Amino acid sequence: MTKNLKRYWLIWKLLAANALQETFVNRGSNILFMIGKIFRLAMTLFLLFLIKSRVKEFAGYTTDEIVIFFLTYQFIDVLAQVAYRGVYIFTHYVRHGEFDFVLTKPLSPLFQALTGKPDFNDALFIIPTTILSIWIVMQLEVNITLASFLWYLLLVANGLLIATSLHILILCLGILTTEIDSATWLYRDLMQLGRFPVNIYLEPVRLVLFFLVPVGMMITIPSEVLLNRPPTYSVILATLFGVGFFWFSLRAWRWSLKQYSSASS
Amino acid sequence: MKSLRKYWSLLKISWETGLVYRVNILLWRFRQFLLTLMSLTLWTVIFGSADEVFSYTNAQMITYIFVASVAQSIILATALNGLARTVYTGELSNVLVKPVSVYLYLAAQDVADKLKNFGFIIFESLGLYLIFQPPLVIPSAAIATLFVLWLIGGAVLNFLITLLFGAIGFWSPDIWGPRFLFFMIVSFTAGNLYPLDILPEVLTRVLFLTPFPYFAYMQSQLFLGRIDSSETLLHSAVLAFWIVVFAIIVKIVWGRGIRSYSAQGH
Repeated sequence: MTKNLKRYWLIWKLLAANALQETFVNRGSNILFMIGKIFRLAMTLFLLFLIKSRVKEFAGYTTDEIVIFFLTYQFIDVLAQVAYRGVYIFTHYVRHGEFDFVLTKPLSPLFQALTGKPDFNDALFIIPTTILSIWIVMQLEVNITLASFLWYLLLVANGLLIATSLHILILCLGILTTEIDSATWLYRDLMQLGRFPVNIYLEPVRLVLFFLVPVGMMITIPSEVLLNRPPTYSVILATLFGVGFFWFSLRAWRWSLKQYSSASS
Repeated sequence: MKSLRKYWSLLKISWETGLVYRVNILLWRFRQFLLTLMSLTLWTVIFGSADEVFSYTNAQMITYIFVASVAQSIILATALNGLARTVYTGELSNVLVKPVSVYLYLAAQDVADKLKNFGFIIFESLGLYLIFQPPLVIPSAAIATLFVLWLIGGAVLNFLITLLFGAIGFWSPDIWGPRFLFFMIVSFTAGNLYPLDILPEVLTRVLFLTPFPYFAYMQSQLFLGRIDSSETLLHSAVLAFWIVVFAIIVKIVWGRGIRSYSAQGH
């Protein structure tokens, strides 16, 4: 087990080194990407604080609490991008038959498809933004305790497990249809709905965001728990859901691998 | 007349090409629908605890977001996001060797894409209207005509800026960085998420030194009757000014680009 983990770590380091070199080759573009992301974060926070200056409370939450939801979204979303950017280029390998080479190697094809191209632009972005987020949280008037913070960490990990599952399901779609661009961007847009508590949306959008594309389980529940508010669904349900969803995505992956026809090679 | 027929045929072909990947179109429109839904929901809940915010009433704000989303969908929809790649990979040669104007060829593609989007916007707007029921006051014929002209003006402006981004492909394969930054700036400065006049005055003044308010904000304010006649004249002139400025820049940049174009890969 330890030997296996060590082997995968070494392989990931190699893949990461390649991705890092690529980032430096396209440094001009990457700097502009970084500026764009900083601009988006700065403007969203600016707007939230602008709203705070006029409205103290909305949808049953104080504006400070809404900022927590946004920062949680920001953290989980960017971390998933750092780890799973490879998913975005997966269909290229399927369409060109290069996925065959992945399958012939004595490695998990899921590992390579998911983590084959870590995003260093986002990795560089997440460090200062996390520090900034912690500083912002310290300035907010919110009720956070050590216990709620520890539960929050557990639920954020659960959120990342759900994010992993969603990326695996997108990979399955890639094998079955060889076209996932729209599905990937739809996932990103649905994630954006989680910038605010999912409870604010009308049914059936709310139900979809809790159980179909479970952005609510990933972002809303951890934020509610951190703020010592009664969560919309219990922590146990959220955790069981996360584990169940991950199990389902692995089953779907195994099934879709059997459907892979290697047509283009 | 004969040459017009040529572009009409191009438009029809672009229309049909645009409808090949139907699921992609549906998903793209669904994403736009979701973003407007988020914006409308957010402002609805913000007004749940206050009668007036940033000198807008609930009804005024919801109507504003509704109109701005429609305006932005029409103005910013484009089939030319991959233009720089077309240039860089040498695929542009396929257009250059044809007896057509490159600009009109690309314009035909863009118009076909806008028409396709417009068809969907009608249904989406109907759905959003039924959910949020914004109080819409139909403007006078004069304002309605000017509104359509400003929409066309905004679309032309966006087309010219898209051509400029496409021209990057003449010199560099690094295309997506500048485009992404532009997307980010437009999404916060066009006024489809919030009216620009809620921002601090100094920021609003700075924004009005750029063409961004003409991508949705000004059209929406005109439709809602929040601009008086003297301002209408001024903003029509400013919009025309930006179009002329960008048309000149496009002419110069594309002229230079075509001269250095090596049809790499072809």
